[in-house]
Amino acid sequence: MRFYLRRVAFYIVTFWAAISLNFLLPRMMPGDPAAIMIGKLRRASGGRQLSDETIKGIYALLGADKSTSLWDQYLAYWVRLLHGDLGISSTRYPYPVATLIGNALPWTLFMVGLATVISFALGIGIGAWVGWRRGTWVDQLVPATSLLQSIPYFWLALVLVAIFSVQLHWLPIVGAYDPFTYPSGPQASWAFAADTIVHAFLPAVTIVVSSVGGWLLGMRNMMVSTMSEDYVLTAEAKGLTPRRIRDRYAARNAAIPSLAGFSIALAFVVAGSIVTEQVFSYPGIGKLMIQSVQGLDYALMQGVFLVITLTVLAANFLMDLFYGLIDPRVRTNG
Amino acid sequence: MKRRAIATIATGVIALATALTACSAPITDSPQASASGSQSGTSTTPARALRVWAGSTTPISVDFNPFHVDTALYGTYGPIYEPLFFFNQLSADAAKPLLGDSYEFSSDGKTITIKLKPNLKWSDGQPLTADDVIFTFGYGPNKTDQLLSATAPDATTIVLKYSKPQFTSAPQLLGATMIVPKHVWSKISDYQAQTNAKPVGSGPYTVKTTSDASYTFTFNTNFRDPAPAVTEVQWIGLDSNQSGQDMLSTGQIDWTGMFIANPDSVTGTGAISTMNQQQDPTVVVTCANAAKGCKGAQTDPAVRQALNLAIDRPALAEKAWAGLVGQANPAFVLLPRDQQWLTDQSLAASPQAANIAQAEQILQAAGYTKDAKGFYGKDGKQIDLDLFSPDGWTDYNDAAKLIAEEAGKAGIKVTARTVSEAEYWTPVTNGDFQLAMYGLTQSIVADPYSNYEQYFSGKSTANVGDAPGHGQNYSRYANPDVDAAIQAAAATNDPAIKKTEYAKIQAQIATDLPYIPVVLNASQAFYNTKDFTGWPTDANLYADPLPYISVAPELILLNLKPAG
Amino acid sequence: MADRLAGIRYLLPRWSGKLGTGLIMVGLIIAFGLVAPLFAADPRDSSNKGLLPPSGSHLLGTTKLGYDVFSQLATGTRGSLYVGLLGGISAMLLAILFGILAGYFGGWLDEILMLITNIMLVIPGLPLVMVIAAYVQNTEGLGEFARSSTLVALILGVTGWAGSAVVLRAQARSLRTREYVAAARVAGEHGLRIIFVEILPNLVPLIAAQLIFGVMAAVLGEAGLSYLGLGPTNSITLGTMLNDAQTGQAVGSRAWWWFVPPGAVIALLGTGLALVNFAIDEIVNPKLRLAPQAARRQRRATKAGRGVAGGGAFA
Repeated sequence: MRFYLRRVAFYIVTFWAAISLNFLLPRMMPGDPAAIMIGKLRRASGGRQLSDETIKGIYALLGADKSTSLWDQYLAYWVRLLHGDLGISSTRYPYPVATLIGNALPWTLFMVGLATVISFALGIGIGAWVGWRRGTWVDQLVPATSLLQSIPYFWLALVLVAIFSVQLHWLPIVGAYDPFTYPSGPQASWAFAADTIVHAFLPAVTIVVSSVGGWLLGMRNMMVSTMSEDYVLTAEAKGLTPRRIRDRYAARNAAIPSLAGFSIALAFVVAGSIVTEQVFSYPGIGKLMIQSVQGLDYALMQGVFLVITLTVLAANFLMDLFYGLIDPRVRTNG
Repeated sequence: MKRRAIATIATGVIALATALTACSAPITDSPQASASGSQSGTSTTPARALRVWAGSTTPISVDFNPFHVDTALYGTYGPIYEPLFFFNQLSADAAKPLLGDSYEFSSDGKTITIKLKPNLKWSDGQPLTADDVIFTFGYGPNKTDQLLSATAPDATTIVLKYSKPQFTSAPQLLGATMIVPKHVWSKISDYQAQTNAKPVGSGPYTVKTTSDASYTFTFNTNFRDPAPAVTEVQWIGLDSNQSGQDMLSTGQIDWTGMFIANPDSVTGTGAISTMNQQQDPTVVVTCANAAKGCKGAQTDPAVRQALNLAIDRPALAEKAWAGLVGQANPAFVLLPRDQQWLTDQSLAASPQAANIAQAEQILQAAGYTKDAKGFYGKDGKQIDLDLFSPDGWTDYNDAAKLIAEEAGKAGIKVTARTVSEAEYWTPVTNGDFQLAMYGLTQSIVADPYSNYEQYFSGKSTANVGDAPGHGQNYSRYANPDVDAAIQAAAATNDPAIKKTEYAKIQAQIATDLPYIPVVLNASQAFYNTKDFTGWPTDANLYADPLPYISVAPELILLNLKPAG
Repeated sequence: MADRLAGIRYLLPRWSGKLGTGLIMVGLIIAFGLVAPLFAADPRDSSNKGLLPPSGSHLLGTTKLGYDVFSQLATGTRGSLYVGLLGGISAMLLAILFGILAGYFGGWLDEILMLITNIMLVIPGLPLVMVIAAYVQNTEGLGEFARSSTLVALILGVTGWAGSAVVLRAQARSLRTREYVAAARVAGEHGLRIIFVEILPNLVPLIAAQLIFGVMAAVLGEAGLSYLGLGPTNSITLGTMLNDAQTGQAVGSRAWWWFVPPGAVIALLGTGLALVNFAIDEIVNPKLRLAPQAARRQRRATKAGRGVAGGGAFA
């Protein structure tokens, strides 16, 4: 129980720290993001006066005038957040940031989730195999995957689009679904689901190709270490089949520490998805992030950053719980 | 990224050709006269939708509010909301009637009498009458102190009385004021707060569906004329020119207006045709007027003249614009359209190849000396100019880099940098800059008046720190001779007088160079001629085939027919 | 003395094909970045024709503006190495600071430092970098510095140290319990002295591995930021080259000589560094080296009919 309490406490603190960082960043800057943002909103609204409510919202999120104490600003900021108010976007005026994020998040969760699962499964599977066949030619796979990992995501994505979509016409060029077949947007049908998978394929492949190396290397190294553990030797001495030793004894125990590297791998995937979504015009959170940064839409930028951070935290938290469940040692050692 | 064309024309445009002002010619050649399609033809299996990328980015935020000049979705102006008349910027022809049938100026130019077409309806079936037009002219941003009264002697006649002559405002009032239904908008107190997801308009199309990736128009059953042959138009969102080019070459979109450096790569298959119009001057705008608060060496005309000579325009056109642009001229007329307004033929084109020797001569004559590093300066202060352009506007970025290099060869230190798009407009409008890449909007009728009035008049500018309240004279240029000539030209309908006044303006601005002309920007349109016919041709330029401009897409869509 | 040498030998990576290939790749790229800009043409000379394919006078052709791609590549490699090194070193210093202090001192200092580290670890890096870059680069008064490669490198360093800190802390923690460290402590040596004299030297391979990771991450991070339009604007790096190629529609114009080389140099640099890292990993964790060797020996023995019956776990 102590393990879970510690983890929960850690995530509560991290959650608080992420939100506070979001509060502090615009206020630490020498410029005045709130004033810039209000100026932008005024221009976006055709030069007319903004409502007091909108202005108060922006001040609460991005920094108030100097008369209010930092503590009061902090409280006001929390009140805004707890009401789900992330301000109004200037690049997508007059849409609230929360609505824009709400529309984009499912796509990213779907595509990035798909890519992470495939990448994880492939990495663990191939890594176990390479570790098992250590000392043979398959060892060369390891440096090969590090080549893939060193290719900039967007460069790979651009090349993949040029080959598979433009030249060969095998896969769609952009988007999350075919707007020509589904002009009124997403619908609940198998055909539509299939279409979204076809559209998510190439972006997901880009992420998988670039991120699988990390899983693979970790798994391979754990596998190699595990294979020289005493219990594996014991299993061998007992005359168990190699297959059984590989799958039940070595791979299983080697996979557990790989899970511990989940947060690092996930950060890699998130970074990749931002860039990849831009290349494929995939309507997810990453593209929203890029648009906000390019348009200096501070409210949107803050909101997206917050949501990405919280999503990553939640994923890590679930993984931690799962890890504690399958590996009792971490529960006692902390 | 693509640049959004200015959807409405700023106030105070051009005196029209005199024919229009004296007697309003009843114009009858409606654009769809040739498309004698019957309405029944649309009830059978409709042809596939025409697919357009006008420059929308994803996710698409629904906004069909005609008062949202910057954010309204493409197709709002023309296909859905219409002005009274259509002014074709590609020709000197008279305006074509849309909702209006004819219009007439009084001899003093202060009264306009407009006749509407009979039996007009809004897309919701309600009748469209003179009442709606009067409502529109008194609503929201259309309100003006100059409008004394607006009356309707009968249901299809409108009389607008102004306090000042409106000769020069016809394209704005009649060609860029979108008529909105009174029964909808009179109930709306804050017209800016609307996104108007279900617009009630008068144009040939209504909104069928919207999603975050595209929106689709279908024909308006209450449209005054037979339904268009292209019954559905789908406007999609894409995020880069590269995607647009890819979709075009793989046949997934039918119509777009974007810059493609190697147009052969998409037209090679024979399905896609292209048209390249060169109209809008791309310039280096300088903050030219020290009296208004501009700072930097560019406030000295000699420096601007030297810079003008240092630019190697053919090299720029080749490298930054793949040779697709036209020649700019320092008189700011569009040739050959405005040939009749150009007096001094030496101003028909800006200097082409760089003339370093002459540039240096001008600087030396103005008292500048070269320092050890090879840069000119005066009184111990080196000329050190800052030239910026928005990130991602590749042609501008490239041009700025090249101009900085070429200026360096003439001993003028120019540093090119890029800023985020958001950080581009504020300094330009407030005058907090030295040099910036900039695009002027060409006058939409065959008369350069609006160019002079908008960009060169002292009335169209403001002190550094303020944005001009009227016009877009961001150079802060103010020359009493030019102002007097602009005023004289506005008050007359006599072409001879106008030409003399224009000549005065042209001589002054070509010497002072508050805007250093670079090229005439290329506007490339690409369209599918295999599946659709009726696109404009060089012989029949009935409208500019760019999907992102205002009103013209309506004319194009009405004229298109599915092939075969 | 002999002991000492043996100690150093122990710290040096064992020579292997991987290490050799890696060192050669990295060495060639570094040499290219250092030397080539000295004799290559001016990378910003636009007097050539645009989009020329590779030829004798332009080894890698020209860009849309007529810049020589080879010269750009040379200068860009130098720029990227600078960003990589600066970013990598600053990340490494922070990782040493957090990791070793936490690992050595333990207790509440460990708790606090590790809390900060773990928070930095779970907050996704690229979005954080984007947010910071968007604020910092638009701060008035920074002038040229605002969009410089130095600032980009520093931002990448400040946000990219947490993973290394965790690794270093674990190792420092285990070293702390070693007898010679305990002995030094009993002898009354100062804590910082123990860290510098007894602990740091033993961490050299690990720190080197983390530095290599840091350099790779910074090079790739800079390329990513440049693609997003947040890269340095007044210097040439491989990232800005790729950004130019992307905005200049190099892919659409089929100008492979423009967009392939910078991507290839990044990928090769990354691969070279990774290969060197493998060799270092094998020092840190000798099993990684010994086990495959043992497996290979045994397999050979089996083949020769001299081994234990059956393949066992070494199949």
